[in-house]
Amino acid sequence: MENYLEYIDAYFQRMLDPEEIKRFEQKITEDKEFADEVAFYLSAKQSLKAEADREKKEWFRELLAQQRPLIDINQYRSAKRIWIYRVSAAAAVIVCAFFAWYFFFANNPATPQQMADNYVNENFKNLPVTMSAELDSTQTGLRLYNEGKYDSALSLFEMISQRDSRNDLLKKYLGIVYLRLGSYDKALQHFQAFEHDNLYYNPSVFYQALTLLKRNLPGDKQKAKELLQQVVNNDLDEKETAQQWLKKW
Amino acid sequence: MNLFNKPTLATDEREIIDSITQDGTERKKGEERLFNRYAYFIKEAIYKYSLPEEDAFDLYSDTIISAIEKIASGSFQGRSSLKTWIYSIFHNKYVDLLRKKTTNKNSIHQTLSISDLLLEISDHSKSIVQKLVDKTDWEILRERLVQVGESCRQMLLLWADGYSDKDIAGLMEYKTSDVVKTTRLRCLEKLKQLYRNT
Repeated sequence: MENYLEYIDAYFQRMLDPEEIKRFEQKITEDKEFADEVAFYLSAKQSLKAEADREKKEWFRELLAQQRPLIDINQYRSAKRIWIYRVSAAAAVIVCAFFAWYFFFANNPATPQQMADNYVNENFKNLPVTMSAELDSTQTGLRLYNEGKYDSALSLFEMISQRDSRNDLLKKYLGIVYLRLGSYDKALQHFQAFEHDNLYYNPSVFYQALTLLKRNLPGDKQKAKELLQQVVNNDLDEKETAQQWLKKW
Repeated sequence: MNLFNKPTLATDEREIIDSITQDGTERKKGEERLFNRYAYFIKEAIYKYSLPEEDAFDLYSDTIISAIEKIASGSFQGRSSLKTWIYSIFHNKYVDLLRKKTTNKNSIHQTLSISDLLLEISDHSKSIVQKLVDKTDWEILRERLVQVGESCRQMLLLWADGYSDKDIAGLMEYKTSDVVKTTRLRCLEKLKQLYRNT
């Protein structure tokens, strides 16, 4: 069988002149073997495109998971499948938690500062890193952060930030690292910087409240309360957490 | 394409479009920025259209994939802002989804239609090729793609995704685009042999 792939490729890459195009299309009608080759070329390209799109979607999932660390969309399907077990488990946990709360904490509610500490320990211990093998400075910074090398992560994020000042996620990461390092003023600056950005998950206002609670200067607690109220009233990200904190205030 | 002088585009929108029309690495950065830029549309789809989260994600992903293709091929004219344009694609895909749901085709994933590529061929020859394409066993073809080897697979995927031989040379560290073309056609031939020998 003759190899027509180069000829077919030239046709679809629009590299043939009008006369050759005419001959090409004529050949489809006259030569079954050639028509088969054209059909294979098109089928292969379409099948490959579908595969490329599938891979791109997986990459998009990783990007989205980076924007929203608390809920991993990758787990959505499997979570859906086993929801009934989780609901049962959650119910058991809720019952246990209620009794634990009743016996241990009912007469000794957590202070806003304690709630802030717990939040930081639970949510900022690790930041999501994509599984991509590709070398990426932001990913390297996140890995350093997760290894507890906050100073190194900070230097790298600052360096990237100078090159790419519009990177909204980086503003968030910088704020988190400064918060972990106890540089609350700097953390506040970075959290304020993405307040009006259109991120899928934008907890800017909540993070500002969190930072104020950690800083705990005169007036910070009141200001943090106002910000939490703003999160609830404006239906912003982390609304449920803000509601819980306000209830315990 | 002189869309960068259009006043409708904000600076960061121009930067994204510029990145996507560049070569491999820069294009990937642009794709990432584009996806992140309007990812909040997913929330809108959940709240406004009452879609499950997974469907909303698919809807937005399909929108961005389609937008990337159009930007890379120069079809985006910049007559409106990038956001408005992306939203119109997003909305049209939502309407398609509704239509598919009402006709019991419960998936928004693209079917293996080759209509776009067939547009290149004159009507006279089109029906012949279409009939032959309809006989394709898509599942077998997909399985054979795994067997061509990782390097071939990567190259063919980049080609199908609209990367030029020059872009692929840069991304996969080949010396010239001519070498890529020869290798790519050899990979395609290998895929064909694997598929035909099934």
